[in-house]
Amino acid sequence: MDNILEVENIEKRYGDLVANRDVNLAVRQGEIHAVMGENGAGKSTLMAILFGMIRPSAGTVRLRGKPVQFASTLDAISARIGMVHQAFKLFPSLTVWENIVFGAEPVRGALLDRKAARERVAALARTHHLDVDPDAVVGKLPIGMQQRVEILKALYRDAEILILDEPTAVLAPAERDGLLKIMRELAASGKTLLFVTHKLNEVMAVSDRVTVMRRGEVTDRMVTADTTAAAIIRAMTGREVSHEVVKPATARGRPLLEIDRLMVGNAAKPALDAVSFAVHAGEIVGIAGVAGNGQAELVDAVTGRRVIDGGTLTIAGTRANDLSLRERRGLGMAIVPEDRHDVGSVAGMPAYVNMSMGKHRAPPLSRRGLIDRAAMRRHAETLIQRFGVAIQGPDTRVGTLSGGNLQKLIVAREFDHQAPVLLVEQPTRGVDVGAIEYIHRVLVDERSAGRAVLLISSELPELLALCDRILVLYEGRIVRELAASQTDEKEIGFYMAGGKGA
Amino acid sequence: MTMATGRPAQIWISLRRPAITGAVGIVVAVLVLALSGVDPLRALSALVYGSLAPANIADTLNWAVPLVGMTLVAAVPLRAGIINLGGDGQMVVGALAAALTAIYLPVPGPLALVLALLAGAMAGSMLALLAAWGETRFGVPLLISSLLLGYPAAGVASYLVSGPLGDLGSGLAQTAQLPLDARLPLLAGVNGGVVLIVLLCVLVIFIDRRTVFGLETQVRGENRLFASYVGINAPLQTLRLMGFAGAIAGSVGAILVLGAFYRFIDGALLSPGYTWSGLMAALVGRGEPIASVLAGFFFAALQTGGFAMQRETSVPRVFTTMMQAVIVLVLTLRFGGRSGRHD
Ligand SMILES: Nc1ncnc2c1ncn2[C@@H]1O[C@H](COP(=O)(O)OP(=O)(O)O)[C@@H](O)[C@H]1O
Ligand SMILES: [Mg+2]
Repeated sequence: MDNILEVENIEKRYGDLVANRDVNLAVRQGEIHAVMGENGAGKSTLMAILFGMIRPSAGTVRLRGKPVQFASTLDAISARIGMVHQAFKLFPSLTVWENIVFGAEPVRGALLDRKAARERVAALARTHHLDVDPDAVVGKLPIGMQQRVEILKALYRDAEILILDEPTAVLAPAERDGLLKIMRELAASGKTLLFVTHKLNEVMAVSDRVTVMRRGEVTDRMVTADTTAAAIIRAMTGREVSHEVVKPATARGRPLLEIDRLMVGNAAKPALDAVSFAVHAGEIVGIAGVAGNGQAELVDAVTGRRVIDGGTLTIAGTRANDLSLRERRGLGMAIVPEDRHDVGSVAGMPAYVNMSMGKHRAPPLSRRGLIDRAAMRRHAETLIQRFGVAIQGPDTRVGTLSGGNLQKLIVAREFDHQAPVLLVEQPTRGVDVGAIEYIHRVLVDERSAGRAVLLISSELPELLALCDRILVLYEGRIVRELAASQTDEKEIGFYMAGGKGA
Repeated sequence: MTMATGRPAQIWISLRRPAITGAVGIVVAVLVLALSGVDPLRALSALVYGSLAPANIADTLNWAVPLVGMTLVAAVPLRAGIINLGGDGQMVVGALAAALTAIYLPVPGPLALVLALLAGAMAGSMLALLAAWGETRFGVPLLISSLLLGYPAAGVASYLVSGPLGDLGSGLAQTAQLPLDARLPLLAGVNGGVVLIVLLCVLVIFIDRRTVFGLETQVRGENRLFASYVGINAPLQTLRLMGFAGAIAGSVGAILVLGAFYRFIDGALLSPGYTWSGLMAALVGRGEPIASVLAGFFFAALQTGGFAMQRETSVPRVFTTMMQAVIVLVLTLRFGGRSGRHD
């Protein structure tokens, strides 16, 4: 067997918590090896061990047949391993080539040989069809391009094994397809890729073999061509997960969120240009669009983060243009924000504080301005139970939760308001399959309960599965309204790219 | 999902910081003293004796009254992540308002005393509110507006007592003496304002732990974006916190006038640097009231002991300032590595 990398009986403990237990992994030269698992399964821990970022508590790593022990990432790099992190480690104010050669600059005498460096970067980009301008300033590049810079950085250091930890989590659909193509080409040119993800379709699309992890252990190893999505999901979750969302028929009620000729931004090039639509009780309306076509501005306008420059916003029958977010929430709007770490939660505070916010000003959580911590803990416990949040207890700080669990906690808090209008942004981005299934189910339950749900998502399958109607935003305008039951990804994609209607 | 939260582990985590700080502090102190040719043991015992011996504890308390008070002035807004650099100005206007009320208001002494305290609190509060309003209304960063407003406030006070409202006979920039019955009584040699400061500490701790306002303040301090997302009104919160902090600063000024100097003396309030020591104590406690107050008291003892040490040995008082700086540095360092997730 020509295994380039072998991991034997790796274990990693953090106190009582076992992040990796008895993990075995065999990666062949030139393959794309997917590592799958729900949030908290221990994938990043394993990758961090392979890249020399942390040391295992026990076990051996064998590289090209020889046992290795990395004291730091420098050792891993000199052993020709490269890693693209989820959060990029680039200097935004430097150019692409400067970032790539940083720390490994070619020199002539004592000076940086700028010309040689730039040439090498350009040549490298050409060989691997990684289409980036070496002179562009990194901070001005879209995320997908920045990721290419990270990949080039690893290739520049002669990486043979490339570790990609959830590289697609931050990407828009088109960027994701580009990345998958690049990955295939890299593998074809002889590189070995370790691809961490929890998205099934990506694994099915590019990987040669899959190693599945759950709760720190390897639960299965499969050859992609011989397995099915259902089998992988079973190995990941330990149970059957249905992908089908059952949407019961609901009667569409009165409009609860009304947006009428909404304008945001300057008149010459408005971010939102006379956008009009209404979300009625008992329906889910989705917003599709390539990032940067007005979704962010729409959310900001609805939540009051941005001034509305024209038109009207009506929440549950009341004009809300000039109201504060607190007042808008008071009219009956709950929000699941896109950024769950920086906006949706406060990492350093316990779950019961996180889950009480918004209800903390009124009985039973407080009386006459005095808070009742016992009531807050009970409230949190109830929600933790009801929404199945995997957390030690109400006093646990939420900064330790995995993405899926944190999202469940936020969804629990917001849905518990029973607000007539729900604004839900990217509810399942970076969330594992088990939690996705759950979040989708409760969203549909909210619809059945007669709420008006506005769903902003970059996942077209999600929009298709959940929505009644899908509105496509392009350059600040709604260019098309589609009935979810009568359209498909291709048609939505056509309008997202600015295609004109027939 | 079973994180390590065994008892011993938690106790170690909460004691680690103070323990390491204490150790570093003592090592640095011994080293510096030994290097400058002083017997460390003699100097340090003079410091401890000078601050905590029964005969000296009143000195420490008298120093702690304004210092702990000014700790609250910094800690209350800091809990929400707001830095109030205007303590000096707020204290001075409070002191002047209290002095003028006690001297000139034609009411019986005890009533004048109460009104003087109120006037002091109100004056300090108004100045702080002005700074806060600069931020909420015009976007002038509070860090700047609070600091800058202090200079004209101190300047105007200084002008008033050296001219129109001064005690011209004395030839110094100060007001006349307060009437005897409008002064705070001494309690066993300690400024009677100590009672008020203790009450203020209790009030601040109560608000912090038990009220909706206190909880919202902490939430804002931990994550501003989250606070506004859940509907906390940040400008209103800023105004309230600064108004409250200013009122405490004004009260501290009033207490010094009514219970220690018995007149407003230009410069006397600012030269000991209570505001800055208080700010340091609040930073050490990260705005958490109990930790901040303890740090404030500790600094007061350290500084009082420093006077004694200067008398008994050749070690100058700045030694305690250095110690204080070392402590603040060590306590505000992040040690123990990043314990965050790596994904
Ligand atoms: N530095 C750390 N300290 C304590 N626990 C950690 C640390 N890093 C990860 N963990 C825990 O180890 C487990 C596995 O985490 P991780 O490898 O990040 O999972 P994945 O990448 O599969 O989502 C999780 O329960 C996580 O909370
Ligand atoms: Mg991970």
